[in-house]
Amino acid sequence: MSTLTTKTVRVEALARVEGEGAFYVKVKEGKVVDAQLHIYEPPRFFEAFLRGRSYAEAPDITARICGICPVAYQMSAVHAMEAIFGVKVEGALRELRRLLYCGEWIESHALHLFMLHAPDFLGYADIIQMAADHPDLVMQALRIKKAGNDIVALLGGREIHPINVRVGGFYRIPKRREWDRIVEELKWARDAMFELVKWTGQLPFPDFEQPYEFVALRHPDEYPFNEGRLVSNRGLDIPIAAFEEFMIEEHLPHSTSLHARIKDRGAYFVGPLARYNLNFDRLSPLAQEAARAAGLGPTCYNPFQSIIVRGVETLYAIDEALRILETYPEPDAPYVPYAVRAGVGHGCTEAPRGILYHRYVLDDNGLIVSARITPPTAQNQATIEADLRAFVEPRVHLPLNELTWQCEQAIRNYDPCISCSTHFLRLQVEAL
Amino acid sequence: MAEFIDEDAFTKKMLVLGIGNAWRGDDAVGLLAAQALRARKLPGVTVMEASAVDPSLIALWQGYERLVLIDAVVSGAAPGSVHCFDLSQRPLPTDLFSCSTHSFDLAAVIELARTLRQLPPQVWLFGVEAHELSSGQPVSAAVRMGLVHCIDRIVESLQI
Repeated sequence: MSTLTTKTVRVEALARVEGEGAFYVKVKEGKVVDAQLHIYEPPRFFEAFLRGRSYAEAPDITARICGICPVAYQMSAVHAMEAIFGVKVEGALRELRRLLYCGEWIESHALHLFMLHAPDFLGYADIIQMAADHPDLVMQALRIKKAGNDIVALLGGREIHPINVRVGGFYRIPKRREWDRIVEELKWARDAMFELVKWTGQLPFPDFEQPYEFVALRHPDEYPFNEGRLVSNRGLDIPIAAFEEFMIEEHLPHSTSLHARIKDRGAYFVGPLARYNLNFDRLSPLAQEAARAAGLGPTCYNPFQSIIVRGVETLYAIDEALRILETYPEPDAPYVPYAVRAGVGHGCTEAPRGILYHRYVLDDNGLIVSARITPPTAQNQATIEADLRAFVEPRVHLPLNELTWQCEQAIRNYDPCISCSTHFLRLQVEAL
Repeated sequence: MAEFIDEDAFTKKMLVLGIGNAWRGDDAVGLLAAQALRARKLPGVTVMEASAVDPSLIALWQGYERLVLIDAVVSGAAPGSVHCFDLSQRPLPTDLFSCSTHSFDLAAVIELARTLRQLPPQVWLFGVEAHELSSGQPVSAAVRMGLVHCIDRIVESLQI
């Protein structure tokens, strides 16, 4: 599968990444003196694309940034626009947005957990090798993933790059009966996923914990998708509109990429592990039960155990989708009307990989004057690099191929955009 | 002996799946080929398009007897050249797909399906050699010519 590397790397280069998806470590007298991870940052491209376009195009244009999490881009975009227009999407439409997000979490998490991350833990080079020994497991994973795809395809209009989301709601609302088959699949998936969460709990985990600052949305009474305040385990508690005041992106001498930090503090951690640590009490009882059955308490500081947490969140998303579908609310109208006006709007929602922040400035005609998009992987980059420094040092004696493998696994804990490739790393250990 | 005609089996006879990204120059060729074949309304042929590759594709070809995949390839041949691979027994030479914009490798998805015994009995891939793959570029003239050639070859060699 080594050819996969070449493929994905070249793709990233086409999308304006300098160099390749690569990790570089410099070791001096047994100490790591430099660790750099180069990541894929397509959103910065899109910020320029968006200028001069209509506010109404933002959900569909930004959805093209990622084939895995287009819903997240759409949701952050529509919430930002709605903040400008002073419109609040509530009731049935709000529930349906949660449902759409459930679909995306299910498909994205199932892909990462089973197809990309699990082979690392089981010692397989890739999912194909794993499938030869565990065909039933992989077939179950594909079926669970498909249940998520089906939600996105029906409510989003199509599977990849959904087109049914608009400012104020949706273009078309599916009828109740259109969901019947999906509900049956989700019921199967709920049972299957409960067992699979327990299975993830039995995987071998390196002994590795770090003193992270986790950042996620927190909502008064639900596990977060679209709304909430930004909170951390070290006292951060701000409205999303204050994101840029507290989250600073800066160039560091050792890297060509921007690194996100909390002002006057340091690196932070977004994504499933952050959500879990800050919102365990908001998970459904079934998801909490599965977490406990897999050996997790309400907090977890081992990033390798993010594979369990991703499983718990997949189960939660299935459970939440069924809750919404069991009382399927057909709204009176597919969207809430609004009047276009100038202003600044912020949107921050929980993409599968963590908080995805959008900020737009609109003129009187609803044209975009400027756009700012901060994706989760960019926010995690400093934390991933810090993990790698801490992880490599005690393991620097390992053969290079084994160390590379373990580092890839450590990076995949974050499900970064580059993780689509099975072997994206060129680990260079430069001993001085 | 009277035959029971299973309409579902009949309509599921062959799937043509065009893969590509409409926004990246020649990478759109798989989608354009699919659209052209759909317009011909060929009996017993279902046509689909996919703008991303991941293991979900495996569900799309469930139950089909024949699968025809169409995608852009980069092998160093002249732009617009048409490649044809019989994947029924052998894997795809993956180095041809370095141009792909997909997040999960097509060759990997095919081999995953093969491992799981979820690949139709007959599988072909038609690849059109790509040249221009930049974002926002139109399909190049050479690849437009190749597209016509590719469609002819598909129809001819599969005796649709």
